[in-house]
Parts: sequence; C-alpha cells; structure tokens
Amino acid sequence: MSEPPKERVKYIDTNLNLPYHYYAGDYKALYLRALRDKKILGSRCSKTGKVFVPPVIASPESLAPCDELVELPHRGIVTTFCVVNVPVIGREIEIPYVVASVALDGADVSLYSLIQECAAADVRMGTRVEAVWKPDGERQGDHTDIRYFRPTGEPDAPFESFIHRL
Amino acid sequence: MTKLRNVAVVGFAQAPIVAADEHHTGPEMLYPVVQAALESAGLERSDVDYQCAGSSDYVDGRAFSFSQVLEVMGAWPPVQDSHVEMDAIWAAHLVWVKMQAGETEVAIVCGFGKTSEGSPAHVLNLQLEPFYAAAIGLDAASTAALQASAYMARSGADDRALAEIASKNRAAGAKNPDGQLREAATPEQLMATPWAVKPLREGYLAPIGETATCMVLAVEGRAEKICDRPAWIQGVDHRIELQALGARDLARSESTTLAARNAFEMAGLASASAADVVELGSTNPAEELILREALGLPASARAQGGPAINPSGSAQCANPLMNTGLLRLAEGFRQLSGRAGERGVPGAKRAVVHASAGHGLQQNIVWVLGTERRWS
Repeated sequence: MSEPPKERVKYIDTNLNLPYHYYAGDYKALYLRALRDKKILGSRCSKTGKVFVPPVIASPESLAPCDELVELPHRGIVTTFCVVNVPVIGREIEIPYVVASVALDGADVSLYSLIQECAAADVRMGTRVEAVWKPDGERQGDHTDIRYFRPTGEPDAPFESFIHRL
Repeated sequence: MTKLRNVAVVGFAQAPIVAADEHHTGPEMLYPVVQAALESAGLERSDVDYQCAGSSDYVDGRAFSFSQVLEVMGAWPPVQDSHVEMDAIWAAHLVWVKMQAGETEVAIVCGFGKTSEGSPAHVLNLQLEPFYAAAIGLDAASTAALQASAYMARSGADDRALAEIASKNRAAGAKNPDGQLREAATPEQLMATPWAVKPLREGYLAPIGETATCMVLAVEGRAEKICDRPAWIQGVDHRIELQALGARDLARSESTTLAARNAFEMAGLASASAADVVELGSTNPAEELILREALGLPASARAQGGPAINPSGSAQCANPLMNTGLLRLAEGFRQLSGRAGERGVPGAKRAVVHASAGHGLQQNIVWVLGTERRWS
C-alpha cells in the first residue's frame, strides 16, 4: 500500500457541514417529557396487547396502532448483556462495564442501558435490576435521565420469563 | 419487441406535502400512508411479497435511514426488502424489474424524506463533484439557473416564456388538493418576483417540502382483482448523463430523449404527443421547456391541442425530495384510473410520466402508462 499523499495539491480537505434538527415527534416527545418527571412510558398494541417501550405509534409486528400509553415500573430483568473492555470515544466510564438489554416488568421489548454498582462478572441473564435516575432538577427529558440500572439483590428471574423479550 | 410481463400501478396514498411536519418522525408520517395504500387496494400486509423504499441518508441525517421505516412498512416476519438511495420512482422501477424476473407479484414502494430536519441546499451541493463543482458552493438553484441560462441563450426563450409556463403550472397546482403550492399566479405576478438565481425568479422555483408516499404495484392476474382500473406499465426506460456539468450540453436533455425513445418503442407509442397526459418532473419552467423539447412537445404554454401537460401542477408546485418523482407516476395512475378528481383529464387512456434526479436533469426516467395491457 502506498502512503497517503502529503502534498496539498494531491488532495483537498472538505469539511462537510450538515446541520440537522431532529423532531422527536409528538409521541416520543411524551416519552421524553415523562423521563424528566421520572416516569417511563410505553405504548400498548391495540391488536396483540404487547407493550413497546419507548412508545411506538404502531406495532412493527402486527402493524396495528399502539395508541394507549402505559406507565411502566422502573424495574426489570437483564435479558442479554455484554462486557465492554475497550474504551469508547465520548464516554468516560471505567472499564470493564456492562451494557445490557433490560426488559422492564410489563414490557414486551427491552431497553438498552448500562448496569452499574456491581462487578461486571456479577451480571447474569435474569439479574433483576432497577433504574437509577439523575436527581430532581437535573433531568432534561432525554434518554440519559436514567443514568443506569443496578441489581436489586432479588433472586434471578427464570429464563422462561424473559426468553421472548430479549 | 420482447413480450414482457404486464405490471400495473394499483394503489397509491400520500401524506400532505408540507414545508415541515414538526409533529411526526419520518416513519410516523409513513405509517398511515402505508395503511391507506393497502386499504385502498383492499390488501392485507400479508398479501404483499416485496417492498422497496426510496430515501436518502443525507436528507434524513442518519446512516441506513431506510431501515427506520421497516417497522411501519411491515417487515415482520422478515420480508423481501430493498432500497434505492434515490427518488422512490426508481424504487418503483426496481420493483418492475423484479416483477419481470418473476420474483414478486404484489409489492409496495415507499418514499420518504424529512427535508425539514436538515439542509437540502447543503445536501444537494454534495451531489456534485467535490474538487471543482461542490467546492465553489453550487446548490440546486444555482445549477438550475446555469441550465436555464444555457437553454435561454440557445432557444431564445425569454423571461416571459418561463413565466407563462410557471403560471400554467401554478393554475393547475391550485386545483390539486395534494399539492403544496396551491395559489394560482399570473405570468405578470411571477415576473414581478425577485431573482432567486438569475435567470430564475423566486416565483419559478419549486418549494422543497416533505411528505411520505406509498404505491402498490401488481402483476397481471393480481392487478385486475386489486384495482377496478389499473394503470398498466407499457414502457419504461431511464438514462443517466455525466456528472460534470461542463461535460454535457445543459441546454438539452439527451438522456430524456433516449429514455423516451426506448420507453415509447416498448409501449408502441408513436410520440409523447400521442398520449393524453404528460406529467413532467421539472422543478422550474426552464427544465420544463428543455423536457418538452426532448419529448417533442410544444415549446409554449399557449400551444393548443395535444396532451394535457402537468395536470398536477408538476414538481414546480411541490418538490418533496425522494417523493417528487413517485408523485409523477402517481399522477399518471390517478389520471388513468379516475382518481384525479376535478383535475382529471376526461377519457385519458395513455400517460407519459417523467422524473429526474441529480443536478440539471442529470438522470431521467420515462414511463408510459395505459388503461390497456401492453402484452397479451
């Protein structure tokens, strides 16, 4: 392989400047606003009864509307997880750390979150966890309002209880 | 001519075309549209065996943007899905090819593009060659003006000729309930608007908007059961020209002429003038005049007789990126299937549909739709 060119005339630098201003949409805005109030909202499928979190306007599975909002508990189960041993750009977290799929009680899909306040080796599929929130006054209404989940110390949930919510 | 499989447009739905929908995400805009398209065709999602979207990661500001709409297009259990990083009319073309190959019988084509969340002028600049063209800051209005200037110098068309074409489209657009620009304007009113990029005035340029679209296509045997009046695809071809603006004749659209010749031959259509409806994807009147010439249509808005040109008001009255072309094909379908309401062309049997992509009409696709099957 040849070295990349070093002389200016052999290349140009283009600094792409593409500004974006994403709309959350009214539905997800309700979810985000609720986080600020320390609440987790999901939406229930009008056909199958499945609960999606964050809320979606329609079930990807049945395509039926999910127009009923439901408040979910702040507790759930680690379904699947990984142990991160490489530093990630933009995150100051001590390694190794755990990223897990957390199925909240009553939800049919899982959220992704960090698991903290325990050794990485102590996280298992089935570990019961609870949300740790940013303090009142610091929550902005975005997904980092839930800082992480931590084990509750309760007995692990049986595999059958979350196998369909991975 | 080789005998091909008869394929028809059998359903269509769209969201309102607006400057900015601040209440919905792209997938949320598309969800009711897919539902409406399926409902209009009397179909369940399970009746559809292929889906294809046209969208742009740059417009939406995210990688693999098409994957965000799978959840509203109906991709569970997993289905055959494809995507083109182009206007959705090219997704419709891909579906047509798949139907010729026998890989699908009933398919949906979706278009979406959240133009209000990003900066279309910046995005379209990046469509240009990075060393010489993008670097000097050209946007789509500037390249369109370069083209308009070249055309006017060659043809002798003046500001009034452009204003008359633009005014005609505005009058048609005022009757299109699905349009974005819905106020008629006289040539004089348009000629009084300021220069956007001379020789194009603000009144000549299409507003960039956003919408979501869904079209249903089906093969013979299925199409006539789904739709009372299918619009059969009788011919289609698309051609692309060089990216470098200076390497082609901006005052002409050679690729449109060639694509049209091939599409007309496939359809057994003598010329565009022999059609009842012509719907063009031009976003300004100079483009329209270039396309008219390429298709052998009259160069004046005042010409009498011949096909109805741009009954929808054309892309000049609404340019929701990634959907603009598919809306032209939808207009062809609406006109032939009695779904065009007040702007319907009575007794329309054949429609020529055109759409474009790239700067200065770089790539052009031409379709012929008809009320009759082409191949028996």
